[in-house]
Amino acid sequence: MNLALVSRMAWRDVRSGEMGLLLVALLVAVGTVTSISLFVDRLQGALVQESASFLAADRQISSSQEIPQTFFEKAQEQGLQTAQALVFQSMIYGGENNQLVSVKAVDGGYPLRGELIVADQPFGEGYPVTGVPEPGEIWLDSRLFPALGVSLGDLVEVGMAELRIGGVLVAEPDRGGSMFDLGPRLLMNLQNVPETEVVQPGSRLSYRMLLAGPEDELQLLKDDLPLEPNYRWVDIRKSNSSIGNALDRAESFLLLGGLLGVLLAGVAVGLSAHRYAQRHFDHVGVLKTLGATPAQILRGFMGLLLLVGAAAIGLGLAGGGLLHLAIVELLAQFLPVSLPAPGLRPFTLGAFTGLICALAFAMPAFVHLKNVEPMRVIRRDLGVTPLSRWASYGAAAAGSLALLVWYTKSFMLTFWALIGAVVVITVFGFVAYALLRGGRVAGMQAKSGWRLALSALQRRRQESTAQILIFGLAIMLLLVLVLIRTALIEEWRAQIPDNAANHFVMNIGPEEVDGVGALIEQSATQGEFLYPVIRGRIVGVNGLDAKSWRAQNPYLERRLSSERNLTWMATQPSNNVVTEGQWWDADSTVAEISLEQEYADEMGFSLGDKLDFDIGGQQVSAVVSSMRSLEWESLSPNFFVIFSPQALADFPATYMTSFYLERQNKTFLNKLLSAYPTITVIEIDAVIEQVQTIVDQVTQAVELVLVLVLFSGCLVLIASIQSSRDARMSELALVRALGGTRRLIAGSLTGEFLILGIFAGLVAVLGAELTVAALQTQVFELSAQIHPWIWLLGPLSGALIITVVGLIGSRSLLDSPPMHVLRGLN
Amino acid sequence: MWGESLRNDGEEPMSRIVVSAAGVTKVVPTAAGQLVILDGIDLEINAGESVAIVGASGSGKTTLLGILAGLDAATDGRVSLVDANLSELDEEARALVRGQYMGFVFQSFQLLGSLTALENVMLPVELRGDRMAADQARQLLTKVGLQDRVDHYPRQLSGGEQQRVAIARAFASNPEVLFADEPTGNLDTQTGEVICELLFELNQEFGTTLILVTHDHGLAQRCDRTIAIAGGKVVS
Repeated sequence: MNLALVSRMAWRDVRSGEMGLLLVALLVAVGTVTSISLFVDRLQGALVQESASFLAADRQISSSQEIPQTFFEKAQEQGLQTAQALVFQSMIYGGENNQLVSVKAVDGGYPLRGELIVADQPFGEGYPVTGVPEPGEIWLDSRLFPALGVSLGDLVEVGMAELRIGGVLVAEPDRGGSMFDLGPRLLMNLQNVPETEVVQPGSRLSYRMLLAGPEDELQLLKDDLPLEPNYRWVDIRKSNSSIGNALDRAESFLLLGGLLGVLLAGVAVGLSAHRYAQRHFDHVGVLKTLGATPAQILRGFMGLLLLVGAAAIGLGLAGGGLLHLAIVELLAQFLPVSLPAPGLRPFTLGAFTGLICALAFAMPAFVHLKNVEPMRVIRRDLGVTPLSRWASYGAAAAGSLALLVWYTKSFMLTFWALIGAVVVITVFGFVAYALLRGGRVAGMQAKSGWRLALSALQRRRQESTAQILIFGLAIMLLLVLVLIRTALIEEWRAQIPDNAANHFVMNIGPEEVDGVGALIEQSATQGEFLYPVIRGRIVGVNGLDAKSWRAQNPYLERRLSSERNLTWMATQPSNNVVTEGQWWDADSTVAEISLEQEYADEMGFSLGDKLDFDIGGQQVSAVVSSMRSLEWESLSPNFFVIFSPQALADFPATYMTSFYLERQNKTFLNKLLSAYPTITVIEIDAVIEQVQTIVDQVTQAVELVLVLVLFSGCLVLIASIQSSRDARMSELALVRALGGTRRLIAGSLTGEFLILGIFAGLVAVLGAELTVAALQTQVFELSAQIHPWIWLLGPLSGALIITVVGLIGSRSLLDSPPMHVLRGLN
Repeated sequence: MWGESLRNDGEEPMSRIVVSAAGVTKVVPTAAGQLVILDGIDLEINAGESVAIVGASGSGKTTLLGILAGLDAATDGRVSLVDANLSELDEEARALVRGQYMGFVFQSFQLLGSLTALENVMLPVELRGDRMAADQARQLLTKVGLQDRVDHYPRQLSGGEQQRVAIARAFASNPEVLFADEPTGNLDTQTGEVICELLFELNQEFGTTLILVTHDHGLAQRCDRTIAIAGGKVVS
């Protein structure tokens, strides 16, 4: 079979509709993947860009030591943009008042990502600017103006330097949540730092090198620099675990959605190809009698498949591109970030998906055509040896595997998806078969259309089982997506509830606790906790000097013996889970401590270890009696070390609490600080708002992926209904020829699809519960739960969707005169 | 090896045997055990001869036609067509023999619905890799009286017209042997007679050996010889 003949046949098959469904299924596979990938890639790019603004750069190197000049030289050699910042806390003086502030000194390149927002007057409307404070100038947080009693243009003492207030700082991209960043901000030029004389041996400083540029260049630089243990490489995932986790899970979800779309489209391609092949058995028989050899048939139909595949890929890429543009346009108002230009990857992914779908899902059916016996032309009763299930399912499984691994870049996700599929197919097969057998008993009692429907399902029991499996799988995948989506969004929202505490108050003296609490009560929503806080450092471990405990690692040695916040409490904090040991009794008289698990692992501590602490010059010893895991992303105070109350009862402590404050009531902070000048207020409202923005964007993307997968699911349904259309057609034509009314046939078809839908819905719910439980516990690290509502929704939606789509797909059976249908069988 | 060199389109004596079967047996497994469809069939058919295979339904005549044409393989025995021993060839080689030497006309026409009448006629030659001028196909369609329907698709043609296209297609490759399975079985009597006339006329013109299976006595009587099959054996 030459190319011209193959092209002619392909074109005619497409025009006559024989190849239509296969072409559409391939097109949808390519289009879905391309559009999802384009959107996801661009959205991820945008989210990463947006996230990069949390760092004011693509990456940061941070250290308590000065960043060597060679780091800057190497980065610049690789064409990366650089900037630097120095952050420290200092008391500043303006007029008669003083205030502890977090100073950030930056050079002219700052920020590399994101924007500085300033206002013309304290608490005024902010606008972005491109520069940084000029040398000799500082920008202050709004609330520092009333706190210090200063105005724009006034002089403020920072260390030994006198600097002029040149602006009001509203927001900076990398405000962050480290100890250095706590307190109201003062932004100054790096050139003025020497004259402040605050940088002295022993000063607590955070040096930051900001980097921006292409990913691979950044990676090269990271590999090239001697970073650990003194210099920490920071990306967004490290710098903010809330955002990092949200991004990770969003990525997993979007990819999961995308791959479900691909698999559904693959199933549709497979079904369409089988139907096409079945309808061409006679065709091939004739070609063989006319002298076409099996090799020619193979080449010809493979050529035809590749031609159709190429057309579908071309159209799918274009369609996917347009669809994604429409989606972007549609969601423009919900997408506060501007999307970067797409790369080539989504198009490559789309093209390969089309090719793999064609080869893995459609090829076995096409290859099988070469086995059609020419004798079939004169002896139709001979039939055709069925396609080897090993070949068919093996190819589909191999194709799915290739697509899944490539698409998700995650063996774990692929592994669980495949395990789920195998379990579900086996279980579904048995359940579907059992349901059909049960239906036979009911069928005997049924009347007219219902009896016809049930007997039709019985007659094609194998085919009906397969259809329930396919419908069930499609519905299951959709349910899985809905459940996972709901769980993810709920979890994200739960992490940062709308009225989550967005301010922390530290250094509250014992005598100030009641007063501060009362003031907060008046103007803000008081948080739930009030922790005592005391500063202390570990000086000994099991009788050894702390310095020698981790002497082999200078970074850990420094970290171990650095001063940190300690607390004590009788009851276990609600967001902490004890992973080892036991929480102490409330009335315990023994000095015990509970350690955060990762911290304990890093430091090499175990249960029963005795740690010695230096607290304000006094030594305290306690035994490790439990380990805890924390939700770092919960944005509530967490402590590495918690003491039993008895251990620190005699030590003077300050307290910390939290409250939620509306943005427009920010001046309350001045009132609070005026009344209690020694307390420290930490504002994390900006960080929370940024996280919420990202969660909102990700939620939009998740909804969109759901719609696209739903479309793929409907396509599978249509393909599946089409694949049994010929069998239905022959039966109904006979019924009509024998006097069956249109109403009877419509009733029978409706009944058949309703029963298929309900059965498919039932097995889908079962499969969805199992798969979601596995995914939640193994991939998304959430807890498994039963969802009673889907047990009603599954069968109902299955019945509704399959009946509607089925009747639409079969309307020609109802509308055609019996003679047309009977002639159509030839 | 059989091939183009075996073809002899020139004058040849009527006695040259083009199709022969010796001890052809066809047994198929069924739920009730082995079913013998053909039981040691021996026959020889000469070049240019027209032979009708007749018999009751289930007698095995269609199976015999399939085996003689290389569409099916015998369980036992030897079948030769021209110089090719079909019994020893695999499906790949049998297909080449069919394309080279045989033409077919079927009861249900078996035209490809996605191709026009003209394209259906050109198909056997295209499959052989030869380039056949569309003009030649048009001439054949003119011979069968369809000069005005060349660009019509099968669904746009009547049963009689479809069978005419099938006949034109069968002669397109200038076959040595033409196999016909109930060529008038799906047609009314009048159309059947017209088709029958056309078949024999072209058979005469092309000097083809004609082997047909039929229930139609009139059609069988027009053949040079009749082979009657009953219970899987040649009975006359």
